[in-house]
Amino acid sequence: MGILSADQIREVVKARAENRSVSDKKVSDVREEMWTLHDRGELIVIPITPENKPVEVETLFGWKKRVPTDKLWHHKSCGQCGNIPGYPASLLWFMNQFKTTYLNEPHQTSCTAWNYHGSGTSNPVALAAVAVRNWYRAYETGTYPLIHCGTSYGDYKEMRKVLVENKEVRDKVREIMHHMGKELVIPEEIVHYSEWVHVKRDEIASMVKYELKDVVATVHEPCHYYKMVPEDAIYDSSVLGGQRPAPPTALLQKMGVNVADYSTWYDCCGFGFRHILTEREFTRSFATLRKIKPMVEEAHADVAITTDTGCVTTLDKSQWVGKVHGMDFLVPVLAEVQLAALAAGAHPYKIVQVHWHTSPVEKLMEKMGIDYQSYRKDFTEYLNQIKSGGKIEYLYDPHSEIEKYFAVNKGQVIVEEQALKRGE
Amino acid sequence: MVVEALSVLRNLPARKKEEQAEPSMLLGGSRDLGLDTLKLAQDIYDQFTADPRYKEYVLGCLNCGECTTGCPAARFYDFSPREMLQVAMSNDPLVLLNAMHEKIWACCQCYTCNMRCRFGNDIAGIISVMRELAVKNGLDSAKEVLRPYTRILLKVMTGGTQVSPDMIQPDFFVDWGPDAVSKASDLKTLRKAIPIDVLQVTDSAWEVSMQTSLELFQIYQESGVIDMVRAVDPDLVEMITDIVDEWREEFEEMKEKYGVR
Repeated sequence: MGILSADQIREVVKARAENRSVSDKKVSDVREEMWTLHDRGELIVIPITPENKPVEVETLFGWKKRVPTDKLWHHKSCGQCGNIPGYPASLLWFMNQFKTTYLNEPHQTSCTAWNYHGSGTSNPVALAAVAVRNWYRAYETGTYPLIHCGTSYGDYKEMRKVLVENKEVRDKVREIMHHMGKELVIPEEIVHYSEWVHVKRDEIASMVKYELKDVVATVHEPCHYYKMVPEDAIYDSSVLGGQRPAPPTALLQKMGVNVADYSTWYDCCGFGFRHILTEREFTRSFATLRKIKPMVEEAHADVAITTDTGCVTTLDKSQWVGKVHGMDFLVPVLAEVQLAALAAGAHPYKIVQVHWHTSPVEKLMEKMGIDYQSYRKDFTEYLNQIKSGGKIEYLYDPHSEIEKYFAVNKGQVIVEEQALKRGE
Repeated sequence: MVVEALSVLRNLPARKKEEQAEPSMLLGGSRDLGLDTLKLAQDIYDQFTADPRYKEYVLGCLNCGECTTGCPAARFYDFSPREMLQVAMSNDPLVLLNAMHEKIWACCQCYTCNMRCRFGNDIAGIISVMRELAVKNGLDSAKEVLRPYTRILLKVMTGGTQVSPDMIQPDFFVDWGPDAVSKASDLKTLRKAIPIDVLQVTDSAWEVSMQTSLELFQIYQESGVIDMVRAVDPDLVEMITDIVDEWREEFEEMKEKYGVR
């Protein structure tokens, strides 16, 4: 090939970047258009009311976001409930301490986005309809959805945008909802549980019973919390200079934990959606080499803290196999709400359920000053009690048999007296 | 001749004869230029560019490579988000089809590339669109990739949750270590020791009510997802449909039992 002239090169560049003119598009606040559609009767916005006791925070661009703190509908996470049950249990335990009213129901599916991001076996109409079906359940029970999973949180923000901006999808989803006797609803804000924990950090920190200044924690920020729809994540100029999301670091600092930095903080955990299930050679290599190793060698972490399902699973479960390469780290990996619950005196096994974690948490508990051996003895006795048909302890009264089949209990949240009882 | 056929299909200038044997512009390897392949490539290309997300997600590229330097998959696979974006912008159905055979499945969907992209491209999003099309068009590569994933699809499409405690079996999760696996030995008791009633199950992440499961299936049916999955795994769809049919019968019986309208 001969040497090209300047004009020829210009033509080549122009041809290869022909859409360059649109690169100055602005990130719009989809919430404004959402309210316009609400006013036009195209959809119903689930409002945050004074009963939800909202707390205002700032997001990436300084936009305001209101985080409801009461009368909540728990949108559970498959990975948390399946493999890390102490994650939701710790959150509900705190809510009981604060006498928060909530519903935690069987009438919820997952967002199905773990499957979508792993396999491609879905589409925007299905994903949006799944989101609306779940939101509608919160709407008809008079509660506000609180999203436990980072991927559900990211997906639901994407689906909010799709529903607001794409009439074709909106009309199709509305039609599907009408076939089920439901309406097209969208919550005023999409709220992640870590945002609830963040705005409750002062109250949580006031409950800490152990000295935490010698505990070194490294934070892994979940990608789907802040990279998927960046403009909606909470930032605070007083936390890490506002350069990284404020949750969960603000809570850790408030509790007196020594938060340490490491070079690969920006990397994902290696979860990969399909990879964690069927291509784990990638997941475990990335998690160990790019995350756990720097956390240990650079920051000397006692614990890795994150705020998402997949990240806890990946970072926790991927470590054991590292032994074959001499990487015997076994750093405990916890959600921030689990560490907070431990620090606030929750039962490590009955509530925080640390026995589901593969990288042992006992060494960390010892450093925190928790007498885990007596708690473990107590838990072993409890398991024996369960095996012999004894009483099971609950964070709220179990659902009735009919709810295995039907979504009854419309328009009700757990009554105040029961919430008060739970707080005892 | 086959190149001429493609030109008719897409109205593109034919490649020079000496270029026809050259490897793909963006991806290594020779091309299978059978007419069926060309037709398939063109069909998929048309679906791809007609998708409303195409114009929204693909905005241009400086080839700066920032996306790839932060990409986890690029460290372990023959994969690059920059390359995927170039594929999306290539205007070449065969280049697109070639990438859809294997490369698109390496992506971790972490969105790090999106966050770093100066152009605001949604690279993770456009890869998802390619994956959807690989499934919808029943590509062999999609069938191959999703084969070990079948039981998970069954789980999510019937019960609505992705994983269940009883999936952590030694055969599948040996690399998670003996402590993770041993939980399976006393699973029922350990699940009952979780203080949240809907989590005290072993075959689902949480207990999903039957009405909810049936509504999810209705969404999958009416949104075309069932047809998508049928293209890669018809046996799975048959299995799911059988399960749902049984549930529908049971649901009607329960309506009668509880007097629910």
